[in-house]
Amino acid sequence: MTLPQAEVQTQSTEPPGAPQSAPKAIAGKSPTRIAFDRLRRDWLAMASLLVVLVFAVIAVFAGAIANLFGVSLETPLASERINLISQLPLEGPPFGGFDPEHPFGVAPRVGTDNLAVWLYGARTSMIIAASAAVLSTVVGVIVGLLAGYLGGVVDRVLMFVTDLFLTIPFLLAALALAPILSDRFGTDPQRLGEIQFYSVIAVLTLFGWMTMARLIRGEVLSLREREFVQAARAIGVPTHRILRKEILPNLVAPIVVAFSLALPAYVAAEAGLSYLGIGVVDRPSWGQTVAGAVQWFDVYPQYLWQPVIGIVLLVIALNLLGDAIRDALDPKTRR
Amino acid sequence: MGPPPPPRPTVGKFAFIVKRLLAGLLVLSTLVVSIFLLFWYGPRSPVQGLCEQRTNNRCTADFRAQLEENFGYNNPMLSELGKYVAGIFTGRDIQLGANTFVECSAPCLGLSYRTFVPAFDELVRRLPATISLAVGAAVIILLVGVTSGVLAARRRGTVADKALVSATLLMSSIPYVLFALLVYLYLNVINEVFPEAGYTPLTENPVAWLSGLLLPWLALGFYNSTQYTRFSRGAMIDALSEDYIRTARAKGLSSRTVTFKHGLRSALVPIVTIFGIDFAFLLAGTIFTEIIFGINGIGRWGLEAIQIEDFPVVQTTVLFGAIVVIVANIVVDILYGVLDPRVRIS
Repeated sequence: MTLPQAEVQTQSTEPPGAPQSAPKAIAGKSPTRIAFDRLRRDWLAMASLLVVLVFAVIAVFAGAIANLFGVSLETPLASERINLISQLPLEGPPFGGFDPEHPFGVAPRVGTDNLAVWLYGARTSMIIAASAAVLSTVVGVIVGLLAGYLGGVVDRVLMFVTDLFLTIPFLLAALALAPILSDRFGTDPQRLGEIQFYSVIAVLTLFGWMTMARLIRGEVLSLREREFVQAARAIGVPTHRILRKEILPNLVAPIVVAFSLALPAYVAAEAGLSYLGIGVVDRPSWGQTVAGAVQWFDVYPQYLWQPVIGIVLLVIALNLLGDAIRDALDPKTRR
Repeated sequence: MGPPPPPRPTVGKFAFIVKRLLAGLLVLSTLVVSIFLLFWYGPRSPVQGLCEQRTNNRCTADFRAQLEENFGYNNPMLSELGKYVAGIFTGRDIQLGANTFVECSAPCLGLSYRTFVPAFDELVRRLPATISLAVGAAVIILLVGVTSGVLAARRRGTVADKALVSATLLMSSIPYVLFALLVYLYLNVINEVFPEAGYTPLTENPVAWLSGLLLPWLALGFYNSTQYTRFSRGAMIDALSEDYIRTARAKGLSSRTVTFKHGLRSALVPIVTIFGIDFAFLLAGTIFTEIIFGINGIGRWGLEAIQIEDFPVVQTTVLFGAIVVIVANIVVDILYGVLDPRVRIS
């Protein structure tokens, strides 16, 4: 990336103090700069980014926002908020109007505040999706780098494992693994919830790294034949250094794109796992609320719609943002 | 690069198929062993669920130890793995109590801890529901997806084309579980447009079979057709820009003939190959659809087995899903060579 800029500087015949002419300023832009500029001009991408940022703020400051609205996860006594016969809330939706104490209403049967659950659910969803995306990216990049660069037996073994994992349907595997993980590591009943939380991340990672590995391997296969890599090899740069300093910087664009498209997939997958009852149990999550809200849907549809809107909005925004990032980084799609 | 290479002898194609089958067999046996190991070493006690089941949730350590002994969990792992693999080919008797044995005929995949019926028999019993669901959805996926994709490709660049593509993008952004759930709630529970969701065997009552599966078919089919719209649109645009299409047009063939007879035929090749894999995944796990619409298929069986730690059943469902996907991969690889004469098999 330094080479083109140096060329531009040597070509520049103007004295240092003179105002720069427009074409030369553009010629000196780095590819990252160009991508950022294109992204900034894309209003759909900016809108999606705004939505994602709002959700990120909600996830980080869930507690503070809940305090701001005066709601919390604790329920003093369900009977204070719930009609014990119909098990539906006394005030607010579905029958009453807007209840300022509980802006989203309260949950049927247990009487917890919906807004608080929604806010903390956003946090759970985003933590799980982000950790799974980061971990599977790390695993996928390492596997792809090694398989693509080393080739031979290493490549064959790693790709065999990758294909093996790709043949196992994700949901079935998650169904099989989640209970085993929580059974094996959840010896302490008090920590069972925490273990389940980590086992969800582990399952998502375990079955999510393969696409990244294949993508990276493909890129590395072509990169390793390029002159600058061969030059580095010829002067005796050790392999790990070639991988880190020569190859990895050239993979930033595909990694960023794959990462940003993996995030929404994990948000959706987490919701799906929770719906099946193998997701997190010790903290509120959107998927959990969805699963619980189905039986109340005919009388209390708002209770289901809150988490659904959260998930759908977040997933669509992340998807659009990922698509926009891909377009911005791809020099072929100049609009 | 000199003259074009001579056409490869058919032995090459045959050798490729054999090689591909052997590779598939290797993946398959690795899977059988690793899934066995997962359930052997994974849980703290593989018979915990069975123990709870037989004692009404008052499982004692003594009884659990007894069960572990009966089911061979105290024997060396390798000898039990051998028994398991041998059971797949020849069947075996499984000891249940002190003197009770259950005959598990080949292919034996273990006994369900809940019903003590061989897991494979139960799998076969539930297979028709899953197959019905997958086939019906597949028909809708292909019909809706390919038709709308071809139409969009013919009207490329128009408002209708752009609207269709954006709509499919938006739709596939909604997680499937939520989509299916809302479809079920609004069209079955609230509005009763499709009042009878569920599965009745085709042989029992064809009308009930159809009316019960219609809504799940539509939900699964329409949701998954979106990617086929985009995909067949792309394949069709590629095909329509080929030289032979221009030739066909120049000959004065009608636009319809050119699109469907010349264009679609070549565009279908990549679509069919991708569809093969997707269909396998439909067969292997329509878990959400089966749970939401109450269809007693394989996915639902697996989920129910998880809840009571019925590990042989879980093992069987995972194995079944993986086998279906592996077989589909092999079939698609071979078919691709047959369908597309340009493919050089290596």
